[in-house]
Amino acid sequence: MSNNILTQNDIQHVDYKDIDLLKQFINPHGRIMGRTKSGLTAKQQRAVEAAIKRARFMGLLPFIQK
Amino acid sequence: MADDVVLEMNETDAADTAVLRIYEVGYHIIPDTKEEELEKVVGALRAEIEKSSGSFIAEGAPSLMKLAYPIFIREGEKSVEYDRGYFGWIKFEAPIAIAQTIEAFLKQNKSFFRFIVFQTVREDTRAKMKAPQLREVKRTDVIKRVPRRVEEVSAPVSEEDLEKALQDITTE
Repeated sequence: MSNNILTQNDIQHVDYKDIDLLKQFINPHGRIMGRTKSGLTAKQQRAVEAAIKRARFMGLLPFIQK
Repeated sequence: MADDVVLEMNETDAADTAVLRIYEVGYHIIPDTKEEELEKVVGALRAEIEKSSGSFIAEGAPSLMKLAYPIFIREGEKSVEYDRGYFGWIKFEAPIAIAQTIEAFLKQNKSFFRFIVFQTVREDTRAKMKAPQLREVKRTDVIKRVPRRVEEVSAPVSEEDLEKALQDITTE
């Protein structure tokens, strides 16, 4: 049983507008965490990746952080 | 042969209009827009969706927000930098063909400087998560202030009392 943020909070869908949630899956440089670090399942990881990329495109999250 | 192709194309067009999908459009309106005009700008987008026989599911009103990075938009000869924008979104159900129509509309409308159209689900996708709270940790390294003992000021003892006390101790 995986013990990650999405499972703990029973989050079924990841929205690109949930910046505070998505920020927990990026590192201080703005890069997306790997599965080993995030502890997500493959399906969850794909959903988080897609949401982060949408948020980046819309200027809600940075592509890189200095 | 050519008739078959036309017939097939007509069939696919008909199928496109029959199949309904859930879409979400997110947009940034230029920050120079007055707050009174925002409704008019969003109303135009809503009208475009309704025109394509779309039905609304949910909506987020545009609100001014700071962007994570400046967005440069080419306007004629010069490029304009936007570091904030009115961000809003609309979720709706519509035939497949609407995605292209909406994208074309947003592209030609200069009030929107960044937008995204994608397929989503009917359910509310916003996470109902509590904001992470700081754990209360009991500090163990706090040094308690102990009040200083006030030195008892004793009255001068006479020689007789002292000897008496000494005798009491020795006799015991």
